[in-house]
Amino acid sequence: MNVALEILVYGAVQSGVYAMLALGFSLIFGVAGVVNLAHTAFYMAGAYLIYTCVSLLGMGLPAALVCSVIVVGLCGLAVQRFAIRPLIESEYSVMMITVAIAFLVQEAVTVIFGPADRNVKGFIDQKLEVFGVVDIDSQRMLTLGVATVLIVALWFFINKTKQGKAVLAVAQDREGALFVGIDPWKIYLRVMFISAVLAGIAGAFIAPTLGARPHMWEHPLVKCFAIVILGGLGSIEGTILAAIILGFCEVVVSFLISSYLGELVALIMILGVLMVKPAGLMGRGAVR
Amino acid sequence: MEGPILHVERLTKNFGGLAALSQVTLEIQRGEVVGIIGPNGAGKTTLFNLISGFLRPDSGNIVFRGESIAHKKPQEIVARGIARTFQIPRPFHNLKVVENVAVPLIVTKRRKGSGVSKLEIAHALLERVGLGGKKFMKAGDLSEGDLKRLELAKALATEPELVLLDEPFSGLSSTEIEGLVPLIRELSEQGTTVLIVEHKLRELMKLVRRVVVLNFGQKIADGRPEEIAADKVVIEAYLGAGGAALVLS
Amino acid sequence: MRRVPKEVLAFVIICGVMAPVPLVVESHYVINLIILCNIYAVFLASWDLLTGYTGQISFGHALFIGGGAYTAGLLNFYLKFPPLVTIPSGALIAAILGLALGIPSLRLRGPYLALATFSASAIPSVLVSTLWKYTGGEDGLYGIAPISFNVVNRYYLSLALMGVCCGIMSALARSSYGLVLQAIREDETAAMASGVDTRAYKLKTFVLSGFFAGLAGAFYCHNQMHVGTEELSLSLSILVVLMSVVGGIGTIIGPMFGGYLLILLNEGLRFIEDFRLVIYSGAVVIILLFLPRGLLPSVLELMRRTRGLVIKSPSPKVEAVRDSASGVDEPEAQRGLSCEPK
Repeated sequence: MNVALEILVYGAVQSGVYAMLALGFSLIFGVAGVVNLAHTAFYMAGAYLIYTCVSLLGMGLPAALVCSVIVVGLCGLAVQRFAIRPLIESEYSVMMITVAIAFLVQEAVTVIFGPADRNVKGFIDQKLEVFGVVDIDSQRMLTLGVATVLIVALWFFINKTKQGKAVLAVAQDREGALFVGIDPWKIYLRVMFISAVLAGIAGAFIAPTLGARPHMWEHPLVKCFAIVILGGLGSIEGTILAAIILGFCEVVVSFLISSYLGELVALIMILGVLMVKPAGLMGRGAVR
Repeated sequence: MEGPILHVERLTKNFGGLAALSQVTLEIQRGEVVGIIGPNGAGKTTLFNLISGFLRPDSGNIVFRGESIAHKKPQEIVARGIARTFQIPRPFHNLKVVENVAVPLIVTKRRKGSGVSKLEIAHALLERVGLGGKKFMKAGDLSEGDLKRLELAKALATEPELVLLDEPFSGLSSTEIEGLVPLIRELSEQGTTVLIVEHKLRELMKLVRRVVVLNFGQKIADGRPEEIAADKVVIEAYLGAGGAALVLS
Repeated sequence: MRRVPKEVLAFVIICGVMAPVPLVVESHYVINLIILCNIYAVFLASWDLLTGYTGQISFGHALFIGGGAYTAGLLNFYLKFPPLVTIPSGALIAAILGLALGIPSLRLRGPYLALATFSASAIPSVLVSTLWKYTGGEDGLYGIAPISFNVVNRYYLSLALMGVCCGIMSALARSSYGLVLQAIREDETAAMASGVDTRAYKLKTFVLSGFFAGLAGAFYCHNQMHVGTEELSLSLSILVVLMSVVGGIGTIIGPMFGGYLLILLNEGLRFIEDFRLVIYSGAVVIILLFLPRGLLPSVLELMRRTRGLVIKSPSPKVEAVRDSASGVDEPEAQRGLSCEPK
């Protein structure tokens, strides 16, 4: 029973992080058709920024978070405007340039911080007992809480606000949106900002748990891919569902078999889906 | 050879709930030039896609020269002697015009031992369709009309016995069309069987002696152009019942 | 093929030019560097065959490189097989990996293909980590037998490797086989309509690409006397992509050039030490934005344009043909047709 609860809690945390990470990736593709291979580089930037602010500059947590979020968001805007927009005609060029940017960030971070793991101080240094039996640190629970809040907020934004509906409009019919006066480029910038911020926050909150490493962007990108092909590029509900599935599967395998094989889950998932239905379970669609 | 060159039998294709083609039966004799017409969405391109192997039928059969080709892959069908063009030309953009024609020549086994090098064949084909002066241009730089000519040259490269032309005149000026018509006529004079999907009926009628009409995936008429033009069902398909009544009164 | 293709000639010349290098250069450091360049040249050429020519975007080339390297390394470390045996074995295993990656890739396009290849090299990576007792885990295996203790011998062997492998790949790329690959890249549907069995061609190319990358990977393992997770890493895959993009995709020589340029430049910039790769990736971003065809084609284009200014055009008619051509001479267009199809 304890094990089941452990899996429940840890699985939820894992799913929350994955959802935050994959949603941005999925959104920018669904809306702008952009495969942003630098997406998890934003995640990494978030981790290193919070490290810089908190451990090196001694900033308080709230200030550090705000700082990191703004910087990552601005980076996202810059990448969209100066690197992606000129090349948007060619899917393949966008992939090339975003991978180059990811590599650049990786090397920059190696230069500035060195190749070793960086430990980031946790936000709350407390062990919690969830459901009275599960030992988990509060950092993880905080992450879960933040993830849930942000995902719900995102859902509301997309479906209930005017700006959010503009995003939906552009995703479904770019010409039509132009017709009613929506500027797709502004929308792309907006989505990229949200995308980068979500990734950056994920990185910032996971940093105390996992540490910060120059190569930390690699595996999460594979996870993002696994999630979006399972849930469908551009589908919010699908991405969340797939993130939950992946998160829980990984935790189950890690707990019950071996943590090494936990890494394989995403890969097997990718192989499986690609064999069965190359377009993903929910297919590529407009943002839904 | 006895029997029709192409026999389409109760061919059916559904997309989701929509019947794109429904129980279509058709016989084409060797050497015929047949027009396939019908309002938009009638299933004409679907028919071509099925014959050329890009789609699999849900039921029915397609028999070419006595062999069933309904479930064969596009390249296998090309190897058996059917070639097609696309409604919107699909050139190999970054390759030169002569290289475009070279590709089907390289892979085809239908031109063995003619003693002529493939290079010479490519040049000859391009001269024939009127692209002789543009052999070394990048295919992506060609004009609309020239792209259609290139499509034709690529289709002819495999020395097909049956050619499917999908809207060869769409997007062309009347001068350009005038340039293309003799080429198509030449084809039939050489004994190649030609099926043409077209919307430009006036130009089409110059080329064909038989017209098949599709509507909502079904064959609604099949006969000589004059018969078709006066057929009530056909007119209704295009103009609706009210319009047809107006025209026929 | 009746006459010797230009490419074979070109590679004989290049190798001829590079042959006397050890006699002139004393520094073992520099010679080792060029050996590295030669090995990378094969990685890059094999990648270009798959991605540049056939349009199968691969962010997972390390799968083949590492596959070949680990095969050779493990065979030598545990079974003491000599390089003469391990290197071809590495190539063969990598060729099989090519098939393994190729088959599921047949149905994938664009982003899905790129991401799938991205994930592909992760599988052996995880396996290597999991089986760290045998594979040495992150550190890898040391003490692999060298191909030769003599650096000059190794130089000539690497030159032979590069000359033969890249020569073959270049000849293939320029032959009718290469033309069909390009047709598949340009428009796969149209290629099928022209009678091309696109599945067969794509699979063949995956296997060929894997074979050569694995061959060079195995060679690399013996050259370094070490095999580790870097050979399977995503960073390596990305480096291959970036070098090729800089050099100019779709030309075989372009990516090779990119490799030589960047490895030598890398060392030349040693004084900037760690900033090298930052500058380098920054340069790649700039090239992608302003010189999208890559350095080699752009340089050649520049040379062609200045040559056109200096040499008077023979006649208006010929000028017209040259203007409308994408800058390539007429005889080159005939290449695809002078060889019998494979």
